[in-house]
Formats: sequence, C-alpha cells, structure tokens
Amino acid sequence: MDVQHYNQPQRRKAEYIKPPNLIKAKVGDGGLTDNILDRAQKLLENNSVDFGPLADIYLTRMMEGINRAKAASGDEDLEYLIAGILYPCAQLKANGGMFHYPLVTRIAERFVQFMEVVERIDPQMMEIATAFHTTIRAVVAGKVKGDGGQYGNELVEALNGACMRYFEKHKKSLEKK
Amino acid sequence: MAYKFETLKVLVVEDNKPMLDLTRSILQTFGVGKVIPATDGNQGFSLFCEENPDMVIADWMMQPCDGISLTRMVRNDPRSPNPYVPVILMTGFSEKRRVISARDAGVTEFLVKPFNARDLYRRIVQVIEKPRQFVRSGSFFGPDRRRISSTVYNGPMRRAEDMLVKTPGDINSGDITFSPIGERD
Repeated sequence: MDVQHYNQPQRRKAEYIKPPNLIKAKVGDGGLTDNILDRAQKLLENNSVDFGPLADIYLTRMMEGINRAKAASGDEDLEYLIAGILYPCAQLKANGGMFHYPLVTRIAERFVQFMEVVERIDPQMMEIATAFHTTIRAVVAGKVKGDGGQYGNELVEALNGACMRYFEKHKKSLEKK
Repeated sequence: MAYKFETLKVLVVEDNKPMLDLTRSILQTFGVGKVIPATDGNQGFSLFCEENPDMVIADWMMQPCDGISLTRMVRNDPRSPNPYVPVILMTGFSEKRRVISARDAGVTEFLVKPFNARDLYRRIVQVIEKPRQFVRSGSFFGPDRRRISSTVYNGPMRRAEDMLVKTPGDINSGDITFSPIGERD
C-alpha cells in the first residue's frame, strides 16, 4: 500500500485522561440564584476604589515604554519594545471598566488593537501612542467616569482616525513596493 | 437546590490589590467558603502546594511571575498537588493569538477584563459542569484544547465557520472553545 498523508502510522501518541470531577461532587447541583448574582454585581458596581493611583502606575509604565521605544537604536527586539507600551495599556483597558472608567477601557482597547498589528516602530506610531497616553491621562485626571457621552465618542473617533490614517499610509507604502 | 459553594477553596492570584479584593468579595458573595489571596505567581504556587485549592483564578500580567508561568507550574511541577485543577486566567487581552498562547500553557478558561459578576460565574459553572478531559502529548500537558460541544447539531459540519453559525451559544470570545483545524495532540 502506498504511504499517503492519511494512512501513516501515528507518530505522536496522546494520552487522554478524564480526572474525577471533584468540584462537582463538592458543590452539587442547582447553580446560584439571580438574587446572589445581582448582589455580586451590585457589589462590583458600587466599589469605591479610587482608580487614579492605579491608573498613574500604568500610565507611568506606558510612558516609560514609549520613551524606551523612542530612544531605541534599531537593534532592540521589536516585541520587547512593543510589550513595554502594550502591556501597561492592556492593564488600563482591563482595570478602567472594573473601577468606573469604561471610557478608559474603550480608548485603551482601541490602542491595544492598534499595537497588536503594527509591525514596526516609527515616529508616527510614537505620536499615536503619545496621543493615546495623553488622552487616557486627561480622562483619569478629569475624573470622566462612565462612557463620557458625546465627549467620549469624539475622543475615541479622533484616536481611531489617527490609527486609520496610519494604516492607510502604510498600506499605500506597501502597494508601492 | 443550589450550589454549595461554602465547601469550595479558591486561590486568587492578582498583583493589583483593588482587583484582588474585588474578586475575593465577589467570590464570597457567591458563597465560596475559603478564598486564598496571593499577589504573584510564585506566592500563588506556594499557596497552591500548601492549600490544594479546588480552583485557581489568576491574572495574566503579574511581576515577577505571571499567570501563564503559574499555570505551567501547576500543570507540570512535581510539587503540584493537583495538576488537573481548573485554572481561570483573567486578562485585558482578548486577541486570538493571546488566547491560544494561554490555552497552550494549560489554562482551562479565559476571562476577559473588565468583566461582570455573571461573566465570572459563567466561567466557574463551565469548569464545574463541563470539565475538560486532559491530554498528555509530547511537551503538552493540560486540558484538551479541542473542546467544542454542540447541542443543536442538525447536519454535517465540515468547516469551522459552520460551527460558529450553528452553535453560537457555545462559542464565547472569552472562552477557549475553538480548535485549530488539523491540530493533532
């Protein structure tokens, strides 16, 4: 028989294990009531944590990352430089919404999406990173809780526009090549 | 009848103190009997070995030891008292490649922040009601990465996209429920 793709002997054997469901045995059936879940949600929504000091930590780290990237000579690992900016911003995205600043989450999420796809560090990208940083800092300093209404939408649209222009520019440069 | 969470021991590993306190409070409101707090992966692993909790909820980005490294230790370190323990990873990332990297480290469920109380509850229910079988293969040991369950199957499905259309309720961007086509453990 000819050896084809699908009739070769298996080279990597996998062992499948079904561990006993100890948690299920402990907790039983039935789930939690809506009343308990509502209470937990209310507790989350009514938390009185001041997001300012936490945001400051991440904003400072993000700015350090931006400065490190700006000062880079070109020999540094790109992923390391990007992570220095991206990770603190991902923390802002994660925590803003947990502590009454969903607008911070919305702005930071846009920047995380931008940073996940950029392929180089250049001055225009650094300008965009700085703009996001400045905007998030202003939102936190101005204690703009909630979604920020029309003001929030305008901020996000402006930043989104900057990202789109960046991608448009690089798309064109790729087409020229 | 309701879940008896008072019998549960949950390890929460989070370096952000307000977030750690908030997660602990939510779990206590759920009725969890014992919440063990830790502030990074190394401390988390020590407490894991000491306390042998029923579940681990860990943040991804922590210094010096992050949630992925903690998961690897839980799954592979000989000192681990229970390599099968469910690990729920909390993170601000939701991009597919990040989810895949968490999945490949042996994470059971993925919880994207910010989350609400029901999001966290759903992940806990998932590990209770739909536990994953484990796979040991080459360098990988962890929950089976190929779980997709369908309760509304009504015909052949030959494409991943078909599954997304046919079982929207089973696919949650916060869960690790997709499987790369052609993957062989």
